Amino acid sequence: MTPAEQRPRPAEEIWELRLHTAGQTPKSLTALANLQRICDEHLRGKYRIEVIDLMANPRLAKDHQIVAIPTLVRKLPEPLRRVIGDLSDTERALVGLELRRAT
Amino acid sequence: MKTEDLLRESENLLTAVANGEVDAFVIGRDDNRRVLLLANAYQRYRQLVERMQQGAVTLSGDSRVLYANQRFADMVGMPLSQLYTIALDSLVSVADRARIGTFLLISARDSRMELDLRRRDGTAIPVVLSHAAVSDGYTTLLVSDQRPLQWPALAGDALDSIRIALEHLNRSPGLDPQAREALESISEQINALARMSEEMVDVQRPPPRT
Repeated sequence: MTPAEQRPRPAEEIWELRLHTAGQTPKSLTALANLQRICDEHLRGKYRIEVIDLMANPRLAKDHQIVAIPTLVRKLPEPLRRVIGDLSDTERALVGLELRRAT
Repeated sequence: MKTEDLLRESENLLTAVANGEVDAFVIGRDDNRRVLLLANAYQRYRQLVERMQQGAVTLSGDSRVLYANQRFADMVGMPLSQLYTIALDSLVSVADRARIGTFLLISARDSRMELDLRRRDGTAIPVVLSHAAVSDGYTTLLVSDQRPLQWPALAGDALDSIRIALEHLNRSPGLDPQAREALESISEQINALARMSEEMVDVQRPPPRT
């Protein structure tokens, strides 16, 4: 990815990401692994990941209107963005997080 | 949310579902939400339960078998297909039926009970039942077979036979000193294995029932 493709953002901006999972289902675990990899490659040292287990507390799905699991929510930077799926399609995940522009 | 964003998210959802990237859905509204898992989401748990060495059985509110694993079916000596809907108390002695009824009423996680399961062939095997989970009116029990394993005793018998054969060889006249030394070394190792086997038999021996 070239700098021109990236969304411009302040150097100190911390990304707050919330991954909604359903316990330890295969897709939830895959999503977490893919999210870690994406963050290490594109947001090194500038991100926080919170994992929300909706099996333990389904009511939390209401907050971010989660309908399918896993779903990643970008809380910060605003605006809020949701990426549904296990993030194995890196291109789609990067576009969804606005780390890369859609082509 | 802008219409453009809504459309993008809808497309995102459809793509994720079509690509098989999700394995659960949230249904319901407001505070009455539930998570529904797709079949592939709990495939690994099913495999784990099917292959574990403990019996597992889930009972309905009237104590009938809703689900059991193969190990439990082996314990009672019945095909799995014949276990479904059978009353649990039909698998225990008449004397234990009242006790098991009380045990199921308690429904406390980690509570345990010792009893004899009645096998289809009329024999009985000592087991420990323990509550694994209680939810939505269903009770899941783990069933541990308390019979000592047979293989340590069999291994001990086999080792004894080898030891006798080695002693016989060692007494043979004209045996090469190096061969004799090798035989003695093998004998020592056999003795060590025999001691381990005896200890395993002791460890497995269940404590007296209270």
